Amino acid sequence: MGEAVQLDDPAFEAVVATHHGEIYRYLRRLAYRGPEADDLSQETFLRAYRARHRLTPNANIRAWLFTIATNVFRNHVRSERRRRVAHASLQVTRRELDLDGPEAEALAGEVRTLTEAAIRRLPLKQRLAFTLRKLHELDYELIGQSLDCSAESARAHVFQALRKIRTTLNGHALPPTESTR
Amino acid sequence: MTTKPRQCVAIEPDLIAAATGEAAPAARERVDAHVAGCTACRDDFARYRAVDAVVGTLRADPAPPGDAEAARRRLIARLADLKTRLVSYRVFSSPLGPILLAASEHGVALVEYLRGGLSGSRLFAMAGIDPQEDGGELERLHDELLEYLAGRRTRLEWPLDLRFARSDFERAVLQATSAVPYGAVSSYTGIAGDLGKPSAVRAVAQALRHNPVPIVIPCHRIVGVGGDLVGYAGDRIALKERLLAVEGVPTRRDHSGVCRGSMYHYDPNPDRQYCLPTCGTILERPIGRVKLFARRELAEAIGLEPCADCRPDLHPLSV
Repeated sequence: MGEAVQLDDPAFEAVVATHHGEIYRYLRRLAYRGPEADDLSQETFLRAYRARHRLTPNANIRAWLFTIATNVFRNHVRSERRRRVAHASLQVTRRELDLDGPEAEALAGEVRTLTEAAIRRLPLKQRLAFTLRKLHELDYELIGQSLDCSAESARAHVFQALRKIRTTLNGHALPPTESTR
Repeated sequence: MTTKPRQCVAIEPDLIAAATGEAAPAARERVDAHVAGCTACRDDFARYRAVDAVVGTLRADPAPPGDAEAARRRLIARLADLKTRLVSYRVFSSPLGPILLAASEHGVALVEYLRGGLSGSRLFAMAGIDPQEDGGELERLHDELLEYLAGRRTRLEWPLDLRFARSDFERAVLQATSAVPYGAVSSYTGIAGDLGKPSAVRAVAQALRHNPVPIVIPCHRIVGVGGDLVGYAGDRIALKERLLAVEGVPTRRDHSGVCRGSMYHYDPNPDRQYCLPTCGTILERPIGRVKLFARRELAEAIGLEPCADCRPDLHPLSV
């Protein structure tokens, strides 16, 4: 063992306090329903608790938790697929638009909904890489570790995702951005 | 689909990177130079920037307020439940054969001689246990155990978790047994007497047979009332003899029991004096009431004095 540190219970509680919110948001983005994200985030932290002896002293705990959460989600998708439930494309249309604001935001809301739908339709690896990079700002090295691929292919997944999202939004007016120099 | 000029295709990855804030300065410069002279790519660039801005709005918390907090509270409850069930274990080699050590958050729960392999372990037969192979902490215990078996350590001061004991009576028996010091010997009858239940001799033997933490709770120091090495871990009398030998307790040539004649005797008396086996009729009194010690120092370590009549201090037993 030698290298391993022991995260005692108070230390693990601190890990939960610091990281649960973000991991929950990540899984909430990936999952189709709130309760599902709840289960998956519990599973993530229970697994982390079991594996806490295997952490090395200078481990990046945040990245470690994202990796576990990603694996938990991928397993979940596999078993869901086996049960032939939850088809991404079906779910998109059924998903409640709970993020949408009042009428005034309707346009931005529509574009956002389309974007979310496009993200959900992405192949799993692209979707995970994109979410980790663009919504949780992990670096490519860590994303590669989470997805069992190189940093380069993690980056390629993200760019491929951006191309597809862009295509989805073709023909839609997008909110203006500041000038492009 | 229109075909893009070659240089536009080549610049595309850099262009996406630049528009979404991921480009290194050199790539950014290449893109700037290219879009200055290429309208199509300038539009592309603007479009990717706009897409990136939309994506940015998705960073807002996807869950209604309170959901994460509720989820966290449920997690804390499940973690607490997991901690009570979680028992980490590891199988180690030892001079006594493979030994499984298992510990919960409260302490060591199992020390088990493995015969039929891991699947036969009690760890997997008990409900409400979540076994997990692990072991940083257990390595240290294993080291101490090896020291003990090599005679370099006389105590295993481990916190214990007696959840594998099947009743309060069994826990009481284990407690009483743990009071028998290193290098000393008592009997099942003696333990039953210590517990104030002199007729519960068989129950005591049964409880010790199920001792979840042998060696640590020294059930090997408990013998028949006449000194016979009855029962250990089922039928492994040889193990019992070996553990006693580590502590210097002499056994008969035929391995049938301890050699009373080579041990110091203590029959509780107001002066707390221990004796030679030849002192009066002490050799005829039952083990249990009389405690045996392999060495004088072990008796004196618990505050006993040499008998003023037989003077074990002047006539020590030859080892």
